[in-house]
Amino acid sequence: MAIQPIRGGSLSEAEVTTAPRVAWPAPAERSESPLVQGLRRLRRSGTALVGVVIVVLLVTVAIFADVLAPQSPIASDQAHTFARPSWDHPLGTDQLGRDMLSRVIHGTRISLLVGVSSVLLALFVGVPFGMIAGFYGGRVDTLIMRVMDLILAFPIYLLAIILMVMFTPTAGLIGTMKVTGAIAIVRIPIYARLVRGSVLSIKEKEYVEACRALGVRDPWILFRHVLPNCLAPIIVTTTLGIATSIIVEATLSFLGLGTQPPTPSWGWDLKANISFIQANAWLSLFPGLAIFVTVLGFNLFGDGLRDALDPRLK
Amino acid sequence: MINYVLRRVLVAVPMLLGAMSIVFFAMRVLPGDPCVAMMGDQATTEALADCTKNLGLNRPLAVQYVDYLWRSVQFDFGNSLRQGYPVSEYISRMFPHTLVLVLAAAVVAALVGVPIGIFSALNRRNPLIDYPLRIFALLGLSMPVFWLGILLLIVFSLRLDLFPLIGGGDLDGAIAMIRSGEVFTQPRDFLAAVADVLHHLALPALALGFTLAATVSRLSRSAMLEVISQDYIRTARAKGHHERAVVYKHALRNMMVPLLTIIGLFVAIALTGTVLTETVFTRPGLGKMLVDAIGARDYPLAQGAITVFTVIIITVNLVVDMLYAVVDPRITYR
Repeated sequence: MAIQPIRGGSLSEAEVTTAPRVAWPAPAERSESPLVQGLRRLRRSGTALVGVVIVVLLVTVAIFADVLAPQSPIASDQAHTFARPSWDHPLGTDQLGRDMLSRVIHGTRISLLVGVSSVLLALFVGVPFGMIAGFYGGRVDTLIMRVMDLILAFPIYLLAIILMVMFTPTAGLIGTMKVTGAIAIVRIPIYARLVRGSVLSIKEKEYVEACRALGVRDPWILFRHVLPNCLAPIIVTTTLGIATSIIVEATLSFLGLGTQPPTPSWGWDLKANISFIQANAWLSLFPGLAIFVTVLGFNLFGDGLRDALDPRLK
Repeated sequence: MINYVLRRVLVAVPMLLGAMSIVFFAMRVLPGDPCVAMMGDQATTEALADCTKNLGLNRPLAVQYVDYLWRSVQFDFGNSLRQGYPVSEYISRMFPHTLVLVLAAAVVAALVGVPIGIFSALNRRNPLIDYPLRIFALLGLSMPVFWLGILLLIVFSLRLDLFPLIGGGDLDGAIAMIRSGEVFTQPRDFLAAVADVLHHLALPALALGFTLAATVSRLSRSAMLEVISQDYIRTARAKGHHERAVVYKHALRNMMVPLLTIIGLFVAIALTGTVLTETVFTRPGLGKMLVDAIGARDYPLAQGAITVFTVIIITVNLVVDMLYAVVDPRITYR
């Protein structure tokens, strides 16, 4: 007769959620989650609201760029090159006679697209790595964190430059994906480290021990109990990270290693127009102003989020 | 202590090795044959084969790798593909320009950032002071250094005509005078060269310094906050010390440890900042050299510049780590 293996927890995960049928004093009112409390605090912060307004405006501009831009951002008009700001061209035209206002408006798209998607990509790679490193420790931890340290040994701009030289910048969607990938790689260690640190303290908490005692499987513990509890710093870092990513994208494009023409990009426009700075200085003003306002918006928003979600970080 | 220093050096070595390996392999996977880049599309097959052999590119990758590491240790990065001169020569000529820029920017950043950070921390309960200062820091953080540079150029070079538009000044001349001893025989010429350098340096240093000041002010604000909430500060206050004595005698000295961390971070940020600053101001330097080398597909030159950047940053962090032990005897090391 086969001996039945001794089993520890007899409850499966599905049963745990429904099992306790003891008379438990029901809370009079469902208490607010820390996240909701944080968002409530966020509403009271003036600077954060300014940030939110800027970000919402920018997203609107990016979505409706085709409607908002008075002209095509890439149609050149050889008869009106280097036109000074006028009613027809509120921000003037560049060396190919392209309308600067339309270019700045369309530039919002690539800037936000690369900024947000690179951070999300970094998040989806960095967070699991950080969780695994922190939760399991030992050799896995050492291996993951050594690789992360190696990436961090390079300053982000330098590594982004090296990566883009390797990837060779190209135009179009593939080119945009390359830029996004390069910035994401550079940013992965930030999230891995952040999450690892949080997980290290969370995994010692009683509720994780309770889960273990109930025989809950590791992935369930990680995603259901550990991850939600390190969400606040992740959200803050993500928002501020978008600001950094947008600056990195602009920097790469400014060096000619990021977004390539014909896609309108603020960094590239600055690079292209700096040669004409002596006679046509105004051309260099607006793409830079756009970068500045965008980054400022995300920084204000992220700063307000930090104050609201995690008072300890203040 | 010695044990700790050794341990840190031992950790830094694989780090350096890893970073250099990344640079090496990054340069190898680049599309385009360096020989074609050097000799043009019209080169004959024999000439190309000859060139490949001369550059040692026909050897196995592993051999090339070890050779690269060994020669890098000896500060030999090969020759520039475009001009043919040794890369190390470019680096040693460009390095002083970058060093001067980083130092000047550091002075600006420290003079602006540290007082703002401390002032803001000490007055954190007064929103009329703390609030505008934090906004200033955010503005600085959001300002791309190349755009600030362009703005400064437009206002101070083009409109007011106070500073030169391009160039790095007669730094080579000044260095040559120091080497030859002409500093003492012709002090007037030397001072003229220094003045020229400073004249060219002012705008780039301001641009880079101001963007860095934002980071510095934030870091020193949080460093000060951390120190000021310690028990010994309360003790000093309880003893009836004047507030100024508390800040300068007790708090500031204990800020040394966080300050060191700032310096380590600072060098990394500042060095990469020079890439952009030098490009905008058309200043000679390692950063501009790197950008130009990438644009011209001059891989040995780019490889040399990146290696130097990485080595400097890792070394600075190593030194900073060691200085912790000197500054704060309480720090214990396993």
